[in-house]
Amino acid sequence: MAIIEAVRLRKVFRSPEREPGLRGAAKALFTRRYTEKVAVDDVSFSLEPGELVGYIGPNGAGKSTTIKMLTGILVPSGGTLRVAGLVPYERRMDNAANIGAVFGQRSQLYWDLPLRESFELLRAIYDVPRERFERTMKRFAEMLDLEDFLGTPVRQLSLGERMRGDFAAAMLHDPPIVYLDEPTIGLDVVAKEAIREFIAQINRERGTTVILTTHDLADVERLARRIILIDDGRVIYDGGLERLREEYGTHRTLVVTLAEPCEGRFDVPGAEVASLEGCVVRLRFNRRELTAEALIRRVTERYTISDVSIIEPDIESIVRRIYLEGYHEGAAATPS
Amino acid sequence: MIAVRRAPRRLRIAPYVEFAKRAMAREATYRFDVFTSIASVLVRVYLLKTVWVALYARNAAPKELPLHAIITYSTVALLMGLVMDIDQTRSLHDRLHDGSIATDFMKPIVVPLYFFADGTGEVLFHALLIVPSLLLALFIVHIDVPAPAVLATFFLSFGLGYCVGLFLNFILNCTAFWTLEISAVQMIVTWVSDLLGGELVPLVFFPAALQNVVAALPFAAMFSTPLLIYTGVIPPERWAAALGVQAAWVVLLGALSAALWRAGAKRIVVQGG
Repeated sequence: MAIIEAVRLRKVFRSPEREPGLRGAAKALFTRRYTEKVAVDDVSFSLEPGELVGYIGPNGAGKSTTIKMLTGILVPSGGTLRVAGLVPYERRMDNAANIGAVFGQRSQLYWDLPLRESFELLRAIYDVPRERFERTMKRFAEMLDLEDFLGTPVRQLSLGERMRGDFAAAMLHDPPIVYLDEPTIGLDVVAKEAIREFIAQINRERGTTVILTTHDLADVERLARRIILIDDGRVIYDGGLERLREEYGTHRTLVVTLAEPCEGRFDVPGAEVASLEGCVVRLRFNRRELTAEALIRRVTERYTISDVSIIEPDIESIVRRIYLEGYHEGAAATPS
Repeated sequence: MIAVRRAPRRLRIAPYVEFAKRAMAREATYRFDVFTSIASVLVRVYLLKTVWVALYARNAAPKELPLHAIITYSTVALLMGLVMDIDQTRSLHDRLHDGSIATDFMKPIVVPLYFFADGTGEVLFHALLIVPSLLLALFIVHIDVPAPAVLATFFLSFGLGYCVGLFLNFILNCTAFWTLEISAVQMIVTWVSDLLGGELVPLVFFPAALQNVVAALPFAAMFSTPLLIYTGVIPPERWAAALGVQAAWVVLLGALSAALWRAGAKRIVVQGG
C-alpha cells in the first residue's frame, strides 16, 4: 500500500495586484484585483514505504510548494493527497507526528539554546520515551559526529554542524516519512558526503520513506533510484534513474591522451571533438551508433596514443538536456 | 511495513512546560541584562522619588494620594514594569518575519500555545527579579504595605492587568501576519500605553476630558487599576466594578487575539509560509 499518494495535486496562489506608485497604492485600497500564480499544476505520484525518491526541478517549478502541502501547512487548491492514510492539512498535528523535515535554508533548531537542549525540547514535543531517546541520540551522535558541539548554542555552529544537528532533530522521533528540501545546500564536499551517508543509512536501516528535493544532482545520483522531474508545476518524468540514463545519456565522452601533441586538426569519423588541449582530446560519440571499442580502434589507426578513458554522461547533463528540450519517450533516437 | 503513529488526541502539556523552562533558561543566559534591568529600576525609583518630593513641596498634595502614597505608587509601578513591560510573544513576530513559523506548523504542537508558553517562561524569569529589586528599593524609599485583603485584591488585579497586556502584545504581534513590519505601530502603542496606562503618572492627576479618553481604552486596566487598589484610591466597595472592567477587557482582547490568530494562520496555509 502506498504511504504517500498525490492525485492531480494543484496549488494556485492569489496575490493582490498593485499598480506602481502612490496612486496605485491608493487605488489598491479600494479595488482589489488579483493575479493568480499556478505553483503546482497537476502533480500525481505514489510512493511505497521505504522508497527514496529524488524530487527534481528548476527554481520555481513547484518543489517546495509540494513539500509544504505534504507537511500540511499548505492547503491544496485541487486534487487529493494522503500521507500515511491521513489528509495532511485536515490532520496537521497527527500528520506532524509521522513526518520529519529538513530544510537546508531554514533551521528548526532553537537558536539561543545549546544543541542538546533543542533535542530535549523535541523529545518533549514528540513524546519520545526517555530510553529510546538516549539510544537514538547516542547512535546519531556517532553517525553525525555531534559529540563535540552538543553543548554549543545553535547560533554559534558552522553551517555544516548546524545541518548535522538539523538532521538529528528531524529524525529523533523516528518518523516513517522524511522530507528533505535542499539538505546539502552550501555545504563543503566532506559535509555533503556525511549527510548523504546518513540519509542512505536511515533509509536502509529504518525503512524510512524519503523525498529529497535538491539542485545538487550528485545527491540524487548517490541516493535515489527513482526520480520525479517536475517543471512548471507538472510531472515530466517519473521513473528509474537508469531508464533516464538509458534514454538520454546516449552521448559518452572518450578521453584520449596522445603520445605527442597534436599539430593542426584532429579528425576521427563518427565522433565530434569536444576539446583539444595539448595531448588530451575529448571525443563525444553516440553509443548507439558507435561502440567505444570501435572508436578506439579508429583513433589508434590514425594516431599514437598513450592513454584512454571513457566518461559516462552524468545525471546533471541529462537533466539539463531534458529541461532544455522537454522529455519525450524514447528521445534517445533524436541526435543532439 | 512501518507502523504509522497517531498522536494522542488529548492535549499533552509536557511540551509547553518544556518551552517555558527553556525560555527561562534562555533568559538566564543574558546575565548582564539581569543586572541592568535591576539597576535601571533602582535608578528610576530614586529619580521618581526626587521628582515627586519636589513637586509635592511646591503644590498642595491631593487628598487621595499624599506623598508617601505617590512614592509607593511609583515604586510598585516600576516593580510591576519588570514583568509588564515584556513583549512575551515577540517571538511570534520574529518567526513570522524570518519565515521560521513554517517549521512550527510542522510540529505536533498547538502553535499559539507554544508562543504563550515561551512568553510565560520569559516572564516568570523576570518576575524573579522583582524580589531583589524590591529589597534594594527599600534602601531608597519607604513603601506602604496595605492590609492583606487589599494586597490580595491587588495581586488579582495585577493578574488581570497582566492578561490585558499579554493580549495587547499578542494582537500587535499578530499584525505581522499581514504587514511583517510592526515596529512603528508598536512604538506608538507603547508610548500611548505608557502615558495613559498610569505607569508613570497616576490617572487621577489627568484633566477630566482626558480621563474620559482613558476610560475608553484598555491601557488603564494594565497599571492604573491594580495600583489604585494598592494605594487605596479605589476603596473596597468599588473593587468589584474595577475588577469587572479589567475582566471585560481580558475577554474582549482575548477574543480579538483568537480571531486574529485564526485569520493569520489561515493566511499562512493559503498563501504559504
